[in-house]
Amino acid sequence: MSSWADRRAERDAARSGFLPDRIVHLHATRLCNLACRHCYSESDPGRHAALDPGSILAALRILRAEGYTAVSLSGGEPLVYGPVADVVDGAKALGYRVTMVTNGLLVSPRTDAVLARLDGLAVSFDGLAGTHDTVRGRAGAFARACDAVRRLAAGGRPVGAAISLARDAIPELPDLADHLVDLGATALQIRPIARAGRARALPGDTFYSASDETRLYLVVMALQEELRDVHVHGDLAPAHGLWEDRDAYGGLLGTCDTLPFATRPLADLVNPLVVTDAGTLKPIAYDFDARFDVATVDGLSADAIAEYKRQRLPRLQLLVARALASLRGRHGLVDWFDYVTRASERFTGQLARGA
Amino acid sequence: MPPGATPASELSTRLSRRLANFKLSDAAVNALADRITVEGLSIARFDPCIYGICLDYYTDKLPALASLSKKKGVVKWEVFPYGIIEWDRFHVRMAFEVDELEGRGLNREFLG
Repeated sequence: MSSWADRRAERDAARSGFLPDRIVHLHATRLCNLACRHCYSESDPGRHAALDPGSILAALRILRAEGYTAVSLSGGEPLVYGPVADVVDGAKALGYRVTMVTNGLLVSPRTDAVLARLDGLAVSFDGLAGTHDTVRGRAGAFARACDAVRRLAAGGRPVGAAISLARDAIPELPDLADHLVDLGATALQIRPIARAGRARALPGDTFYSASDETRLYLVVMALQEELRDVHVHGDLAPAHGLWEDRDAYGGLLGTCDTLPFATRPLADLVNPLVVTDAGTLKPIAYDFDARFDVATVDGLSADAIAEYKRQRLPRLQLLVARALASLRGRHGLVDWFDYVTRASERFTGQLARGA
Repeated sequence: MPPGATPASELSTRLSRRLANFKLSDAAVNALADRITVEGLSIARFDPCIYGICLDYYTDKLPALASLSKKKGVVKWEVFPYGIIEWDRFHVRMAFEVDELEGRGLNREFLG
């Protein structure tokens, strides 16, 4: 019988970063029926540009061959993207698991058909009614989002909630969690509001001190115990725990002459991969620094990926290595994806090899 | 359950609310986090208990028992092999006394 250490090593060899799946985050448009105060992509009703569905599916075909297995649709609001059903169907035909994050306002009989084809769906929340409606800039947004959760759950669809909290909304979390579970949510993902996009203009006290992060982390832990039948996940993790789990990045960091990048699928090296509404492929996050861009949707090909691996991937390797190393011996909590994204903005340094 | 004792689920509910509410000071929250964070151990479960808070951790290395003993607020700890499923993994259960949180009354009922 293999040891736990052997099985863990096998598990780590199969991992690509801290996510359980190899994911493409697709932002087909920044058109949205809301203009939320904290939107990381600065989406609003005036942003009409959108990616061509044919280009999206052509790129997804190449990325499927590169090992990606899941597509997560966001934006903007995915349900205002006209060809969303075509993209969902096309991605599923390619073998992807397809999920969506929606503000819930357009969940109705008119969207039932496309929603029924998804493998997972999350409705986004920012707090209880008063807080949520203020952040969303729309009276009644909370009620409509709750209606979406209720409707989806009643239809037998597994539905989660993606909760992004400002500092002063932390006290609302237990009641919000209870309410969402009562409506039928089976998963809650909880994170502090990120200082990105439109959120950068919010007052400083919107964001978290180290004590606030600790508080949120402990509340999430208590909710995990309290809501035993619900998957409760927090994006904050102990820095030292992430350092100890660094083997999850062995695919990106553990290279040598016998294990070159060239022979490895992109999904082993860059995960998640973000597709922006401008058609840019970025590692990890929508606002990751442009110096780390992978490719473009229209220019994507096996040759383009090979060139990326030769010329620019070593830069990402160095960034991630430095970010992980900085966690060693560090106390406190980290939202890893936000942490490494902020590090990308500050990155300076020579490449280990390459251009 | 003894008369007047608080059901565990209700105690846990109050725990999440007490933690979320800023009436529990930053200092108290930080002290709690400092107590329950143990180098090398991954927290698996977090639960009010008669001592205050009990945590279950998992690790693939036998923890430094002396350091556990010296950890502030530790009332008791247990280390045992995880069992048949994972022979070389350890399960550490630690109980912390937490004065700031609900459950102190429960302590008194059981401890007399």
